[in-house]
Amino acid sequence: MRLTAGWSLKVHALAMGVVLLAGGTGKAADPATAPIDFTQDVRPILSNSCFQCHGPDEASREADLRLDTPDGATADLGGHLAVAPGDPAKSELLRRVTAGDPDELMPPPDSDYGRLTPEQVDILRRWIEQGAEYEQHWAFIAPERPELPEVKDSDWPQNEIDHFVLRRMREKGLAPNSEASKETLIRRVTLDLTGLPPTIEEIDAFLADDSPDAYEKVVDRLLQSPRYGEHMTRYWLDAARYGDTHGLHLDNMRSMWPYRDWLIRAFNSNRPFDQMTIEQLAGDLLPEATTDQKVASGFNRCHVTTSEGGSIAEEFYVRYTVDRVETVGTVFMGLTLGCAACHDHKFDPVSQKEFYQLFAYFNSLTDKPMDGNALLPPPVVEVPTPEQSEQRTNLQQQIAAVNSQLKEAIAAIEYTDPHADAESVELEPTEFVWIDDAVPSGAQPQQSGHPWEFVSAPEPVFSGEKATRRTAEEMGQHFFTGANPPLVIGDGDKLFASVYLDPENPPTEIMLQFNDGSWNHRAYWGKNAIDWGQDGKESRLPMGDLPPVGQWVRLEVDAAKVGLKPGMKLNGWAFTQWGGRVYWDRAGIVTRTPQNGQPFESQRLWELAIGEGKDLPKPVQDVLKIAPADRNEKQQETIRTYFLERVYPGTKEQVAPMLAEREQLQADLKALNDAIPKTLVSEEMKEPKTAYVLDRGEYDRKTDPVERQVPSVFPGLPEGVSNDRLGFARWLVDPSHPLMARVTVNRWWQRYFGTGIVKTSEDFGVQGDFPTHPELLDWLATELIRTGWDVKGMQKRIVMSAAYRQDSKVSDEALAIDPENRYLSRGPRFRLEAETIRDAALFVSGLLNEKVGGPSVKPYQPSGIWEAVGYTGSNTANFTQDDGQKLYRRSMYTFWKRTAPPPSMSNFDAPSRESCTVRRARTNTPMQALTLMNDKQFVEASRHFAQRILREGGTTDDDRLVFAFRLATSRMPEADELNVIRQLLQQQRTYFSGKPEAAKALIDSATTQLEPQHLERDHNRDPEVAAWTMLANLLLNLDETINKS
Amino acid sequence: MDPLREYELLQTRRHFFGRSAGGIGAAALASLVNPQAFAAPSTAAEGAGVMGEPHFAPKAKRVVYLFMSGAPSQMDLFDYKPEMDEWFDKDLPDSIRQGQRLTTMTSGQKRFPIAPSKFKFAQHGQSGAWVSELMPYTASIADDLCFVKSVHTEAINHDPAITYIQTGAQRPGRPSMGAWLSYGLGTMNRDLPAFVVLHSTWTGRKSAQALYERLWGTGFLPSRHAGVSLRSQGDPVLFLSNPPGVDRSARRQMLDALAAINERTYEQIGDPEINTRIAQYEMAYRMQSSVPELMDFSDESKETLEMYGPEVSTPGTFSANCLLARRLLERNVRFVQIFIRGWDQHGSLPRDIANQCRDVDQGQAALVRDLKQRGLLEDTLVIWGGEFGRTIYCQGGLTRENYGRDHHPRCFTMWMAGGGIKPGITYGKTDEFSYNIVENPVHIHDLNATILHNLGVDHKRLTYRFQGRDFRLTDVHGNVVHDILT
Repeated sequence: MRLTAGWSLKVHALAMGVVLLAGGTGKAADPATAPIDFTQDVRPILSNSCFQCHGPDEASREADLRLDTPDGATADLGGHLAVAPGDPAKSELLRRVTAGDPDELMPPPDSDYGRLTPEQVDILRRWIEQGAEYEQHWAFIAPERPELPEVKDSDWPQNEIDHFVLRRMREKGLAPNSEASKETLIRRVTLDLTGLPPTIEEIDAFLADDSPDAYEKVVDRLLQSPRYGEHMTRYWLDAARYGDTHGLHLDNMRSMWPYRDWLIRAFNSNRPFDQMTIEQLAGDLLPEATTDQKVASGFNRCHVTTSEGGSIAEEFYVRYTVDRVETVGTVFMGLTLGCAACHDHKFDPVSQKEFYQLFAYFNSLTDKPMDGNALLPPPVVEVPTPEQSEQRTNLQQQIAAVNSQLKEAIAAIEYTDPHADAESVELEPTEFVWIDDAVPSGAQPQQSGHPWEFVSAPEPVFSGEKATRRTAEEMGQHFFTGANPPLVIGDGDKLFASVYLDPENPPTEIMLQFNDGSWNHRAYWGKNAIDWGQDGKESRLPMGDLPPVGQWVRLEVDAAKVGLKPGMKLNGWAFTQWGGRVYWDRAGIVTRTPQNGQPFESQRLWELAIGEGKDLPKPVQDVLKIAPADRNEKQQETIRTYFLERVYPGTKEQVAPMLAEREQLQADLKALNDAIPKTLVSEEMKEPKTAYVLDRGEYDRKTDPVERQVPSVFPGLPEGVSNDRLGFARWLVDPSHPLMARVTVNRWWQRYFGTGIVKTSEDFGVQGDFPTHPELLDWLATELIRTGWDVKGMQKRIVMSAAYRQDSKVSDEALAIDPENRYLSRGPRFRLEAETIRDAALFVSGLLNEKVGGPSVKPYQPSGIWEAVGYTGSNTANFTQDDGQKLYRRSMYTFWKRTAPPPSMSNFDAPSRESCTVRRARTNTPMQALTLMNDKQFVEASRHFAQRILREGGTTDDDRLVFAFRLATSRMPEADELNVIRQLLQQQRTYFSGKPEAAKALIDSATTQLEPQHLERDHNRDPEVAAWTMLANLLLNLDETINKS
Repeated sequence: MDPLREYELLQTRRHFFGRSAGGIGAAALASLVNPQAFAAPSTAAEGAGVMGEPHFAPKAKRVVYLFMSGAPSQMDLFDYKPEMDEWFDKDLPDSIRQGQRLTTMTSGQKRFPIAPSKFKFAQHGQSGAWVSELMPYTASIADDLCFVKSVHTEAINHDPAITYIQTGAQRPGRPSMGAWLSYGLGTMNRDLPAFVVLHSTWTGRKSAQALYERLWGTGFLPSRHAGVSLRSQGDPVLFLSNPPGVDRSARRQMLDALAAINERTYEQIGDPEINTRIAQYEMAYRMQSSVPELMDFSDESKETLEMYGPEVSTPGTFSANCLLARRLLERNVRFVQIFIRGWDQHGSLPRDIANQCRDVDQGQAALVRDLKQRGLLEDTLVIWGGEFGRTIYCQGGLTRENYGRDHHPRCFTMWMAGGGIKPGITYGKTDEFSYNIVENPVHIHDLNATILHNLGVDHKRLTYRFQGRDFRLTDVHGNVVHDILT
């Protein structure tokens, strides 16, 4: 295969080719003999019409013919050749694309592909005539630094860019516009570099600066602004598919914002882009990776995830990995790699096997496919602020100090077990009183009949100060649930209660009920009137006759007989009766099981009592398993310490305060740890997971295992790098890589000029658009590498160019030749992006809160947006708007729920961030008009803008109108424009002064919780403020305000 | 607002400047007297879609798609399986299950006991279609409906499955069906969007599956083709109402001044986008009156309201949305999609499905009847269904009276009516377990291809070049089901 890499030949052919493709209008000197360029002219025809069946994809290849390689095209097909170089007559290809017989015609008439046009056939014919030479697709050949085109008869160029631009312009019969006015220029560059318009002071300073480098000084100032990093980051968030929710199914919250903060810092500190790339793809694998580098690796975790019940983990593991590869393909390589997940790529030289070899670099992260709907599905890292780190150290030190005090105190206790010398000890059951003058802690008292009633002497009281009393007609009871700590049942335990039946009014039945989660544990005395449970069983156990009346009687129930087994825990208890008047008192359990808080003098007895100690800390449990005689010193120490700290009453007074202090400190530490930001990161498995070629991309159709490898069309990994994600990232940024630098500069170019040099900034492959300025693209790419991937340097170079600085006015002629301004004979003009429109409105109204970084915020959004779609159990099913200053943060901090993004953003073409986007649409809709006119955010901004005009804009109407117009558009109004807005102001004054209630309503609707000076309000001035609010609303809606010009 | 009035307004704005209109903003004028689509393309001020003309004569001009999110149980509603009565609590034979994958919600179950439907079925109409007692109103229009009992999909979980049927791919990122139609066919009216989405309240299972804006989103198509949600609370269209205190006259003054300055900007700069923007502000202004008029049912007859049932007076109910859908279709909105959630009945299915059917039954039957009465059914396609079906075997506890069902992608029932669809037929057949298809399978790509076909769109030819590939709703699949077409 002959591969040509020089651009000069191609560009020449390009100019000719375009004319020919336009349908042979006769403008070309001699179309019949003009050289045909494979890349520009021939491959698009073959790719669009033939490669589907005769291209790189082996599986779908028909008739063993492939037309994407010279070997394939010229292979012997049994006596004939598809392409016979130099000999159109012998070329089957030509015969078939012109065949009259529908069975012979290619593409087949019943396929999705139309018949080739005569012009296309002619191109193929002449290409064959001229030798049928193939070229590697331009984007797969590493860029070489081209010579600067010579510029004659022009002092227009400001830097190298303009040499290339001017030459193409002239080839198209275009000439550059003059430089934009200074007002336009400072507005354009300020919006482009910071995402906000300039202030009047900045405009005035620039207008007053006559020095030759006045503009450059502005550019340098802007590049130093922290807003620059925010703005650069904002673009990157689309590419990285950043969201604040998981994006699938429940769409619960996810904590990724520290990654966003990292991006801002990286751009502001002008981190070289190759470093940024390596850190985002593989920061976790760098030697001695810093927290920042790990945070950066969150890039690989930004994809959508699910935890939908019923999902098959393997299926999602595959989807996530495919997403990672696709995203890397789009963002760093401008390639549609995802096409090769199911079959060999139809157009680009990436086989399905090669896709899974790339897959193998990204399939061994430790995150689980099911995200658990968690805020922080591991792996995550903590990103504490310096203050938090310091606080944490402090707390840890304090805890250590208390621990050592405690240790000393325990060591100082001279404890001898009272039963130390006994041959054996036996545990006697003891009585533990649970209910006496009050219900146990945590219990929620409830009843059937009148509320709980505690009575004191002279009413009958058995123990303490009080008893409970109940009078009932039929069934009556008082009970509780929720007691904590619960009552623990042991072997052979008896539950008891004291009861006194009123001799004047005795009941016919009394019942005790115990709740361990269910109430099906009952014992009754007397008649069988209450029919809960099953009589004779543990759910309704008969205990015999009623006890004697007029005296306190102790009732006892064997726990086992009412179905309460050792280890069960009671949280509720009911005193129930049928009729009569009953007094209850002192109830609890006779047990060997220690109840919570029960002290023991003897460690031996305590150990006997607690058995396995299921509720004790693990280390204590472990020691309990070992017979006392077999315990080593450390084990003895562990259990003794626990006993003396928590059980032994003798030193409680001394130890308890220290324990309390430690608990408090530990709680503080936990609260601090919870408050420390955390973010999702990449982490590699110790042993990489084997990757397989998946038949048709189906997770459950594994075929051959594959190893990590980059596609063969590219250079191999650089010397000395590891064959893993880190090596892959280093490979991407190696100067030999044909795509990385080109794709990167192209995406930046697109920001400034509205369209990339390659229009399809997501696809540099065979099906992508051909660059309008191939040499310029290569110059910029090599320049980026030469300058050590200097991001700010490249932004500066672009905005310093004369091409960028042109007036955007367009003549009819220029519009006819170049409607989309691809050849840059005028300055860029297009609508600002969603975030910039909102930010600018907040900025000119004085509302913008310029806090940099931090978690996302929830500014105004109409009610019901989340509720309409949210899964009922999702933590983003209901939207709770933030208040105060959080309403006025830059839009890049707006909380991004991916299944229902903020409408004021999506109305202006912000993508959902469910997948990677490097090129936004730019539409123009009535929804946008409604948003700017009526969205509370913009109405409120209008009102504050109005107040700012009144406060700062001078004293006369005209002063104020000029001030307002300049703030919104960055330029002075012309006289007729001033007339229009003056007239509107008068109209609105008339309107509102006749309707003060309307004025009040408008202003009330746009009130906020701001500083007092913003809220100072003289209701007499409402009509005036309202009129200015509508004027401000007009200014925020102007085409010029929402456009970059 | 009529063109003449528009022209006068433009003149008024000229007077604003106090100078002659000669030569100013001729293009702007053209765009105003030739008002365009709701969602005017950024460069071409045309309401027509990218196709210009349909690929062939359409049978339907409009679609109303009643989407049952969560997946209704086909064997409790339409796919009558009397044989199952004898199979109560017996295991689903392996020969039927064929070892195919289950969701992990039931793949761990030790048994797959058959849960026969507890609901009574009867045949209805001349067509003799089987419909369960849960849907008496729908049963009464059986002769207008075409039941397709053999729809199938591959996805087994809600998020991927609903994304699949709505966009043709299980992963997010592709345009929805309504967006494709808006893109291909454009809009047929000047005051309303081409694609409208309505969300309904429900009383079935409380905990309901999520929806996602991608289901009516545009993926890589320009965002102007996205479905616009008409809301039952707050502004029906987001940001429609002027702020308090600002009436139509005050807004008009502001818009006149806006147009005057924007026209001047056009004169200075020459960017045709400026004219489009002027026109879009006028469209927004018109919507401020056309949308409230649309939402106001006071001009509906008593008979009509009664036909939709008592819930029609509660905004946001399925019934109210059905009537609203008719009003939208009447106004030539191309694609209306009503979503109702709550069908994901893994347990307590009998109770929840009864409630859910009460939510939808009367309204959907009234909608079909109403369209028919008005002659709209002829060229309006009505579609009813969910994202997959449910299993014959029980999930969780099983009694004759109570059971639950897991997700089942291998067969489910949808019905269609109107524009180009044969009425009163049943197409496709499942085995006695409603588990496998035994006759005429209809993949969801086939379904979508058929829907497009009825609108005059060849699903293979409505494509969009993105990332070097011509994408379409049906991916690389789909066959039109000619058997069900008139």
